[in-house]
Amino acid sequence: MAINQDLFHYPEAAKELFIRTEDITFRDGTRVSAEEIWEFLTKEAPVRFPHAFDNGRYNRNRISGDIALPYSLKDEYLSLTFNDRMLKAKQKGIPVAFVQGGQCVDPYYAAGAIALRPASVNQWAACQREGVTFTQAQVLREDDKERASQSISFEVCNTAGYEYIQEGSLPVDMIAPYSCLRCSDVSYSLEAHRHGKRQDVKLFLGDFPMADQKNKEWAVEYFAENIKRLIRSIDELTGRETTEEDLRKEIILHNEGRRLSREIAELWWAPDTPPTNGKDRRAILQMGGMEVHGDPEASLCVLREGKRFIEERVRKGVKGHGLIDKPARIFLCGSCVFPSDYRIEEGGGVIVGTDNHWSNISTLVEETGDPYYNLAKATLSYPYEQNVYERAKWTAEQIRKSRADGVLFMYNWGCNTQSAMARMLCDEIKKLVNVPTLIIEHEFQASQSEQLLNRVSAFVEML
Amino acid sequence: MSKVTAFAGVDVGSLGTKTVIMAEGEIIGSAIIRTGINTEENGWNGLNAALENAGLTRDDLAYVVATGYGRISAPYANKTVTEITCHAKGAHYIHPQTKTIIDMGGQDCKAIRLDDDGNVADFAMNDKCAAGTGRFLEVMANVFKVSLDELGPLSLSATEVLPVSSTCTVFAESETVSLLARGEKPENIIVGIHHAISKRVGGMFSRVGVQNDVFFSGGVAKNVGMRKALEEALQIKIVEPRKDPQLAGAIGAAVIAESAWKRGR
Ligand code: SF4
Repeated sequence: MAINQDLFHYPEAAKELFIRTEDITFRDGTRVSAEEIWEFLTKEAPVRFPHAFDNGRYNRNRISGDIALPYSLKDEYLSLTFNDRMLKAKQKGIPVAFVQGGQCVDPYYAAGAIALRPASVNQWAACQREGVTFTQAQVLREDDKERASQSISFEVCNTAGYEYIQEGSLPVDMIAPYSCLRCSDVSYSLEAHRHGKRQDVKLFLGDFPMADQKNKEWAVEYFAENIKRLIRSIDELTGRETTEEDLRKEIILHNEGRRLSREIAELWWAPDTPPTNGKDRRAILQMGGMEVHGDPEASLCVLREGKRFIEERVRKGVKGHGLIDKPARIFLCGSCVFPSDYRIEEGGGVIVGTDNHWSNISTLVEETGDPYYNLAKATLSYPYEQNVYERAKWTAEQIRKSRADGVLFMYNWGCNTQSAMARMLCDEIKKLVNVPTLIIEHEFQASQSEQLLNRVSAFVEML
Repeated sequence: MSKVTAFAGVDVGSLGTKTVIMAEGEIIGSAIIRTGINTEENGWNGLNAALENAGLTRDDLAYVVATGYGRISAPYANKTVTEITCHAKGAHYIHPQTKTIIDMGGQDCKAIRLDDDGNVADFAMNDKCAAGTGRFLEVMANVFKVSLDELGPLSLSATEVLPVSSTCTVFAESETVSLLARGEKPENIIVGIHHAISKRVGGMFSRVGVQNDVFFSGGVAKNVGMRKALEEALQIKIVEPRKDPQLAGAIGAAVIAESAWKRGR
């Protein structure tokens, strides 16, 4: 059957500039040159992953098209090589931990593991499926959702990617979330795992002292003990002993990512017309969490280079690809879901920031002293995990800094904490910054419904 | 005859395609046709029908704005705008003092609050529950073997309001069948249905804050029974529209078309 798919092609004209950009150095010390990345993106990847190159209007993750922005291509490369890189790491005996709870990943990496959040697990699984079209990929994702409901619960939000672990299709060695307030899926997954058939996958739960504990000494110390326990659990898998110095070094490395992200955000927020589109903003700022590519060193390389490009664009007044002049700026709150950046941009808007992982990315960890204590203190102070009033104050500050005109709160159906918080948080934000807000419940689907996008478009028009 | 510079607003909804032709701020033609399965064709057909009504041809159109769910397949349009913005502009055009709009269309229901210039200040939307949609009332009309237009007048002759607890299309249909089987009068059941819908959508309106004047737009706005039930449930007075309220979205689209064209000149 002939496949009718509009595919994106990187234009040959962009090659010259791109291949002169920097290599990516990975955690294991290996490198890939920009020329090799170009070859992969233009020859190998379109054949292996045609779904990712779908250029249709309904592909909200479609390739950015900002070909003069090397980090955008490198981010795409890292996303599409996920399975290849994970399998290589597994061959070297590096354990993979499945994490939930919005935490930073410093301790997992310090102990020699790879930490992957649900979205990364999903990306890994998506890269295992080669040669599928966009529509076929969507159908497969819907099937995954159905199996996730069966392996966890019909009440979960279904973004978890947990089904692959239960089925053994992704060789994850450990399920190691934190029991923080943000995510109601954690408890479902843990319960499912306790009764599931994959008892060979190790289980660890970081017991996060909930609600307003950040200034209580006992809570910080208690949580520091939990982080020690986590590291010991990973040590049992690797057979090595992680030292305080390992953790300190890892914190310094991850702090560099967090700092770079914060600096890039400040640069990006400054002009009235941002220097990149929303997808490329999200890509670079998320890298500061050092989790998205399953390789902190690779993320750092891209971040360092990315900052220079953003700086140059802001200095020269370059407008983001596909943006109108002075678009309506939207700050996105909520969890694990975002509307199509492209649809927002078509309507004259742009997403300028999010609260979810920005909470941990923008929290630096003290580098001197007891690293366990420092990490615990930072984790317990994540603004997203605080009570509604404190979270609203921090969000309002991000809204001011990003100069957002409105707030969109989106949560997944089944995301119990965020759904309960949405109205109250938006009301508090309104009191603090007096911007319009819109709350949208998103029902998990491989592609976003027209009704959902219609509301978002109307909100952009209103702004 | 001097050439007319005309503007069109095409609102391709789930049940009806509404088209308005405007020139110099005045409506000079309109058409409402049933929406079929080919979205693009619906738009063209609506446009042709309204042009014929206005005595114009496509060459007379300077700018076209498409709205409604069918706007994503509208190659005839210069611009697409959501129906929320279009209803706001349309209601403001019809009744400039409008501050709140209740819009009940074929497949969803919206509460829209406006500022003094007819811009959207806030909105809430129900597209998950069938209550307050034209499709729901269409199913109910089928149960009573009457046309959609007859539901409203019938409900006005009710002697009492029967409680109808379901606003889900499937359950409301079976509840209605049971009430009929019990020998209840159709008009008393119909008024009960209108009241059930009004109460259900009431919460949405309190979310955006109901302010006078209140304008009722969309196809369901032609239902006098629904209008009366809403006035009672929300304790409001709905303004008498001087134009067909079902055309509000298309009128708004035409207003936007005219101003976009003027801005672009
Ligand atoms: S959407 Fe909510 S419940 Fe689902 S993974 Fe995210 S935080 Fe957890």
